[in-house]
Amino acid sequence: MFAYIIRRVLQMIPTIFGVMLLLFILFNWVGGDPSYILAGKSMNATTLANIRAQLGLDKSQFAQFLIFVKQVATLNFGISWSNQQPVSSILAARVGPSVTLTGFIMLVSTVLSISMASLVAYVRGSLTDRMVTLICTTAMSVSALVYIIAGQFWLAHKLGWFPVLGWGDSFAKNLVTYLPLPVLLGVIVSLAPDLRFYRSCFVEEMNHDYVRTARAKGLSEPKIMLKHVMRNALIPVVTSIMMSLPYLLVGALLLETFFAIPGMGREVIMAVDKSDFPVIKAITIYIAILTMIFNLLADIVYKLIDPRVQLK
Amino acid sequence: MRKGQFALAALTAILISGNGFAADMNKVLHVAFNAPETGFDPAKISDQYSSSIVENIFDPLITYDYLARPVKLIPNTTEAMPTISKDGKVYTFHLKHGIYFADDPAFGGKKRELVAEDYAYSIKRLLDPTINSPYSFLVNGRFVGGDELVAKAGKNTLDYNAPLEGIKTLDKYTLQLTLKETNFNMTYILSMPVFGAVAREVIEANAANTMAHPVGTGPYLLKEWKPGTKMVLEANPNYRKDVFNFAPSKDAIDAGIIKAMKGKTLPCIGRVEVSIIEEEQPTWLAFLEKQLDISGIPQPALQEALVIDPKDPTKATLNPKYAKMGIQHQRYKLQEVTYTYFNMDDSVVGGDSKEKLALRRAIAMAFPRSETIAAIRRGQAVPVNYMIPEGVGGHNPNFKGAAEYDPAKANALLDKFGYKKGADGWRVQPNGKPLSIEYATGSAAIDKQWNEYWQKAFDSLKIHVTWKVGKWNELDKEARQSKLQMWGLAWGADYPDGDNFMMLLYGKNAGDVNYANFKNAEYDKLFESSLKLPDGPERNKLYDQMNKIVVAQQPWIFGDTRVRNTLAQPYVKGFKIHPIVNTTWRYIDLQK
Repeated sequence: MFAYIIRRVLQMIPTIFGVMLLLFILFNWVGGDPSYILAGKSMNATTLANIRAQLGLDKSQFAQFLIFVKQVATLNFGISWSNQQPVSSILAARVGPSVTLTGFIMLVSTVLSISMASLVAYVRGSLTDRMVTLICTTAMSVSALVYIIAGQFWLAHKLGWFPVLGWGDSFAKNLVTYLPLPVLLGVIVSLAPDLRFYRSCFVEEMNHDYVRTARAKGLSEPKIMLKHVMRNALIPVVTSIMMSLPYLLVGALLLETFFAIPGMGREVIMAVDKSDFPVIKAITIYIAILTMIFNLLADIVYKLIDPRVQLK
Repeated sequence: MRKGQFALAALTAILISGNGFAADMNKVLHVAFNAPETGFDPAKISDQYSSSIVENIFDPLITYDYLARPVKLIPNTTEAMPTISKDGKVYTFHLKHGIYFADDPAFGGKKRELVAEDYAYSIKRLLDPTINSPYSFLVNGRFVGGDELVAKAGKNTLDYNAPLEGIKTLDKYTLQLTLKETNFNMTYILSMPVFGAVAREVIEANAANTMAHPVGTGPYLLKEWKPGTKMVLEANPNYRKDVFNFAPSKDAIDAGIIKAMKGKTLPCIGRVEVSIIEEEQPTWLAFLEKQLDISGIPQPALQEALVIDPKDPTKATLNPKYAKMGIQHQRYKLQEVTYTYFNMDDSVVGGDSKEKLALRRAIAMAFPRSETIAAIRRGQAVPVNYMIPEGVGGHNPNFKGAAEYDPAKANALLDKFGYKKGADGWRVQPNGKPLSIEYATGSAAIDKQWNEYWQKAFDSLKIHVTWKVGKWNELDKEARQSKLQMWGLAWGADYPDGDNFMMLLYGKNAGDVNYANFKNAEYDKLFESSLKLPDGPERNKLYDQMNKIVVAQQPWIFGDTRVRNTLAQPYVKGFKIHPIVNTTWRYIDLQK
């Protein structure tokens, strides 16, 4: 397994290089010229040229790409072009709220959806199963924005159960006061698609011959579900979760925006709006690295779940 | 614990400085911006949000009377208003003694007094080529010897120690500015937050990150900054004694303000917490839930918050259900104009020929401005009829410069000047070439609303319109490179004087703020003459003539001026919106 991990880590290098190249080309093609934002209301050619020189945009494309390579190698992306603060400190300040918000949403949603999915899969074809499927389909057809707007209006404003918005410096206060409503709405948004997906994973496993054999052997239903079906059904579930984990970093844009949570989602949008390439570069590269790491972890977890899986 | 710390800090400050620190650190004002700030170096910022913080930390030489309307300049850190030479070229300021900067490690543990050299340094920073100040246009070419000093610096840092005739100190407390040309607006310009005094040693000690280290002599200091998220200001313990002693204006609310605030030492509020809330619903709900103390009324909430007169939507009062709660409502017209420009260098919509003028006029006549004011602005805007908006020196309320909405006449005009309809029913140019106009636009929902009305206007004229959709900075770049045909913009007053607006069509500003690339010798001559005159009837005559040229040549389609509605909670005392000063936190109190 060690050799496999080393091989996969080495494979990450050309992948990252490809991501860098793609990002660099895309930004230079459609990213916009930040000097026109920084120059303010009135500008002249000299000012624009000075700004471009200070940002390093007057260098050749090759030289700019080399700087990018160096930044990735050192994971030091310099300073933000829009507010001149170190990119590392900007991201460090924002990653906590994002991971807290999306982490809790993912945790609650995963636990609930797997539990509910296994139950409705067990009673597949029943009225309960059909009702859950119908509710999930209906819920999925409603935009996330509607849940957020309606939830904030009714649960926070009209009923007063939660604050309308906010975020503090204390983790405990955030957890108790500010997180519950956005997490609740995030879970509502993600529960239906997760539940449907996981249900189909469980149903597919339950239709396999080994389940019938287990029943024929006289194993109890809980044992069949938990020991046999769950283990096999977890492979696509793990894949889905592992694929989602890197995006915890990106946060949940709409929730962050509506609840004034200082997360990454808002930073990403601001960076794109202001053509803030250092911030865009940093976030993209971190997401790419995390995606590759979690892909690798998923493969290792497959092996732990199912020893038949061979890592080659 | 925290209260104790605050009290100790305040007491210490009073004992040490003998100043008038009276802010109650338990009073916390909660407000929100709807877009992120960029930083707090006065020389480097241009956005309203950063400026709103900067104006509370730094002190310009002169400022505005809080209550006076029309707005009136008053001394800030100076003993009196500056003496101005008869030719309007030499401005001399005498600083008050005993004004101190907020404490900073750069001062080596000593109290640092504000001196004339601080202003000289701060103004020179706007000239510095390495700073690329967004407001450099206010100082470039302005001061005697300034251009030479900038040229000598090249791409390097300005030599701040070199003598500069145009910006010099006569003694420790006297600053003298000498202009190359007569200009009577310099006091307005110098009252802008970007002209607040910075301390050279603080700037040099934090050269790598001046945006995050604002240290000034103003009523507040920056206690905490989470970029794009939160800013916390705390009362500056070193702030000089400043007592609320404004005379009331004719505004009815002034009597109540005077009653609540007269004689109080400013600032009263110890802490200001500023959040960034970009969405409109949470802003509105947060205000209703008292999570915000002062807030604008977001566009979607206007119908609920206000009772709008259907016959005259500009007349609006607060919904009685909110009025009963004691919520305070204030409204005023922004000092801005919105307009859509034609690129006068463009081969289709630009040029001086009669048929090009007819095309521009027809498009202006086909745009249903009253409909957009009703539907998009929800009545909270008034039509623009003059390049200078109401409340700004030089405005003429009797001038009706906007083209009258009349699609039938517009079509007749096009018919007359050879824009015939082709076999497909759409018009072609007089030379027989296809006629299609590209309109630049953003991609937000609000842009799409505007585009529907533009589509309607062009359809009514049987002119093809296409959309050039882009991010603001990309469109701005193309506009300045003269690559756009039409684009809608807004210009807000940097200072309340007409020249800040009339410069938008000055020929030498083409490729810069003159997006229309309008070059008219007569207009330029009149503009240059107007710069030599103070605000008054003589200059107004010139402005009228310039507006007539604009109406005749139609480089712009006049848009509207928005009306801002602002609410404050009942316990906010002394609150009054100022048309120029972004925030009035230092003048208000909280009595919960």
